Amino acid sequence: MNPGGPGRQDTVDNEPATPGKAVVSTMTAPPAVTADDAELIRRSHDDPETFAALFDRYSGMLYRYVSRRLGPETAEDLVGDTFLAAFGGRHRYDLSHPDARPWLFGIATKIMARHHRREAAHYRALRRSPVDGPDDGPADRVAAGVAAWESRAELAGALAALPRRDRDVLLLVAWGDLSYEEVASALSIPVGTVRSRLNRARRKVRAALGGVDPTAEEG
Amino acid sequence: MDDLSPLRDLGRALEHDPPPSLARQRSRLTDAAHAPRRRRLRPRGWTALALAACAVAALLIVPSVLLRSGGHHGRALSPLGRVDDRPLNVLVLGSDARGADAVHRDSARSDTMALVRLPAGRARVTVVSLPRDLVVQLPACVRPDGRKTRPGPGLINSAYSMGGVSCAIKTVEAVTSVRVDQAVVVNFKGFAHMVDVLGGVTVTLPKSVNDPASGLHLSAGKHKLDGKGALAYARVRHGMGDGSDLDRIKRQQRLMADLYGEALHMLTSNPIRFAQFLKAGADSVKTVPGLDLAGMKALAESFKRTDPSKAHYTTLPYRFSPKDPNRLVVNEPAAARVLAPFKQP
Repeated sequence: MNPGGPGRQDTVDNEPATPGKAVVSTMTAPPAVTADDAELIRRSHDDPETFAALFDRYSGMLYRYVSRRLGPETAEDLVGDTFLAAFGGRHRYDLSHPDARPWLFGIATKIMARHHRREAAHYRALRRSPVDGPDDGPADRVAAGVAAWESRAELAGALAALPRRDRDVLLLVAWGDLSYEEVASALSIPVGTVRSRLNRARRKVRAALGGVDPTAEEG
Repeated sequence: MDDLSPLRDLGRALEHDPPPSLARQRSRLTDAAHAPRRRRLRPRGWTALALAACAVAALLIVPSVLLRSGGHHGRALSPLGRVDDRPLNVLVLGSDARGADAVHRDSARSDTMALVRLPAGRARVTVVSLPRDLVVQLPACVRPDGRKTRPGPGLINSAYSMGGVSCAIKTVEAVTSVRVDQAVVVNFKGFAHMVDVLGGVTVTLPKSVNDPASGLHLSAGKHKLDGKGALAYARVRHGMGDGSDLDRIKRQQRLMADLYGEALHMLTSNPIRFAQFLKAGADSVKTVPGLDLAGMKALAESFKRTDPSKAHYTTLPYRFSPKDPNRLVVNEPAAARVLAPFKQP
């Protein structure tokens, strides 16, 4: 999400380095750092505490994402709710998917839907009181910042006006860094629907920006 | 730079770093993990049948072709002696370890277990799946590091992860009173590979399926599935049939019969492909005690009389544990009936 953000651990559980390694009861074995998400989830079937490793891996990433959409106050509980729901549904996780991010984003998205009014208000509030707007910083940057901020406020307004389904797709791509296929999997919709929703959302966002910043590049 | 860049900038401006108090949410999760298990019962027989099919095919039908294609080294006597027509009880373990060496893997788990009865004459094969949530008395097993495990109640599938194949055999023998002549460990990835080498398997769907959970998206009608697709097909529960586990087991049984049929067909129609299938099978299947080529060949020859459509598939009868309704225990009288064929001389 953020270039400096909590990247996911891209490790693959592959051939063991030492084939003769002792067999340890998986009930007591510490979760190996190298296990992929599916492996952790599978272990959590018998050893529920293993699931906490998934929290350690992705709670920061989800918090950042949710804080963007709902603000920091709601984000904390929502991340907790997401992991609790994921934990409760861990037996339904398809273990053939080594990466659990789409699954977790999908659960978070569903829970966020309950807060859709709050989300729209969160964006609209930006137009009135910028969170870290152009008020701080050296004077020359403030001037440049004002224009940028104005376009952001327009953008936030456009986001607030988007239908929820379109916004979910747009933000999972732009802020969640999911691929189209991953968004499809997260939301349980066909990839074609992801594309059409994304196109529609992009058009509206472009239109909103076009009013403020005509030099904005076409995608 | 694309039209999403301003949006990404906005996102960064809105973003907050996770506060230390987020740890409270972690506690909520670990509390839930500690809470008494309210685990939904899901006897996971999903690949048992498909795996059993491939294992049996690889172990029994296939090696004759390998031998025909020039392997003349297997002159040693089979440890089983003459296995050609003798009745055999085979324990099939579906392991989800991804390495080729599925046995000495700390994370290896026998996700599926099935007993396969190959009667004398081989005309009719019986497959009994053992639910993995079955609570049984685990015997003391010697772990690969030489230490002994403590006997006591435990999940049947933990025997394999604790003490390997020998422990799984010991446990199943104790629980079922069936003598296991041969154990076969098939790994997960191997199954998909074997289906691929087989050229896929054809399934017929009464209606379309759209299940993101398993990644299966198919229209109604006939489809040729590759290995990955066949795995998904064996696992899918949503949007197919009545969504129950029983329905899935039925589907797996059909899949098994189809695989079996395709393997038999290939044996005669395309021996080269069949040799590849064998190789794929040999790579993903481990036998205990190890069968040499002569032993495999004898078994394979004996299998020519088997009619795959006459195979009988069932699950070991169980009931819910009186102590924990999320656990299963063996339903002894009914189990004895199901296991009777395994005990015939």
